[in-house]
Amino acid sequence: MATSSGSANAHRRFEAIYDEHVTAIHRFVYARVGNRPDAEDLTGQVFMRAVEQLDIDRPAPQISAWLYRVAQNAVADYWRAFYRLPQVGVEQVAASWEPVMPQPDPHADADADRAATAVRGLLKRLPDQYAKVLELRFLHRLSVAETATRLGISHGNAKVLQYRALRKAALLVEADG
Amino acid sequence: MADEREDALDQFIDTLLEGGRPAPDGMVDDEAPLAHLAAELAAAGNPDRGQPDPAFVEQLRLRMRDADAGISSVQGWSLPAGAPFHKVRLTRRDLLRVGLGAAAGLAAGAGAISILRPSGPAPLTGNGRPLVRDGEWEVVATLADLPEGAAVRFSTVAFDGYVVNDAGTIRALSSVCTHMGCTLAYREKWQDLRCPCHGASFNLSGELANGSSGWSEGSGYAGDTQAYPIDLPPLVRPKVKVKGDDVLVWTARA
Repeated sequence: MATSSGSANAHRRFEAIYDEHVTAIHRFVYARVGNRPDAEDLTGQVFMRAVEQLDIDRPAPQISAWLYRVAQNAVADYWRAFYRLPQVGVEQVAASWEPVMPQPDPHADADADRAATAVRGLLKRLPDQYAKVLELRFLHRLSVAETATRLGISHGNAKVLQYRALRKAALLVEADG
Repeated sequence: MADEREDALDQFIDTLLEGGRPAPDGMVDDEAPLAHLAAELAAAGNPDRGQPDPAFVEQLRLRMRDADAGISSVQGWSLPAGAPFHKVRLTRRDLLRVGLGAAAGLAAGAGAISILRPSGPAPLTGNGRPLVRDGEWEVVATLADLPEGAAVRFSTVAFDGYVVNDAGTIRALSSVCTHMGCTLAYREKWQDLRCPCHGASFNLSGELANGSSGWSEGSGYAGDTQAYPIDLPPLVRPKVKVKGDDVLVWTARA
């Protein structure tokens, strides 16, 4: 932690910041990568960076904003690998303190709620079969085979349906963008 | 549509829903937004809403305490001064890829620090602090133990590690993997330190050897067929010196 006080007191304050934010940051990252191993890696990177660079003498809202900003950057970089875009490295940004986005509320489940609401809204706008296949696969976590049985279609058709449903959903999200 | 492209996406989704770590391997560009959306759907469908594992929270706390005590290589995460960076132009697809409710995040990310970026050799100080503040030299091996390509385990108050002879250069490397803290094993055949937990390999300079940057599709790495998926910071490198026939490491006083 970047602080001049460098005392046991500073350690305690840093750990208090960690305790206050670790759940929310993990959830924030998890909501964007969808799996635990990656969510844990990225959460770890956020806080390890905080050890090195976070100025704990800042007011609480700024500290919170800083953590979310670093988390966002970590998520953006994570997805760059999938889109085969060059990684960006602008060192100064994480250390700056400007707010970049509406703050998710670190003390509540607001971010997760918002994501769940967005998903429900998205499913409602899809044709029935598309919404059904995504619901069975992602919300109920059925396998492709189980999904096929529930829908009374072949395994191959379930895969095709899932693919088309995702395409359509992605188009809707893009149109909203 | 039953072609390889679809298989890569199917594989991604299956891994995701089984709770594993999905990889971008084989995915074509226009499927990335679908994978991204699938990840967010999977997250939204998880009833525990991404509540962190308490064991993870405690493990990370310990890693941070170690780092703050100056015995980790987090300082290696900083880019060297003047490191080049790329501006990324945002397209509609770029905006799509941030998926549900996170458009602002990508915009931020586009001008953002890359904390997954591999870093250069770890400096021995962080924020101007020495790796070991108040220490002493401790003999951990003799030169006779260290012909070229050899490694000797050592254990001091501050570090568990190896001293190695990397083609004539003596170096001390922590044996703590910078991923989750597992203990690395020396593999003489491959001249690396290997993590038994998730398979990261570090070369005798302490840097990740089987990461995705520098990965060659043809030959892979030391029998690995897949690159290690995360760019880990380099290993901590305690100061080392040779005096007479002795190899000494700068470590904390007992």
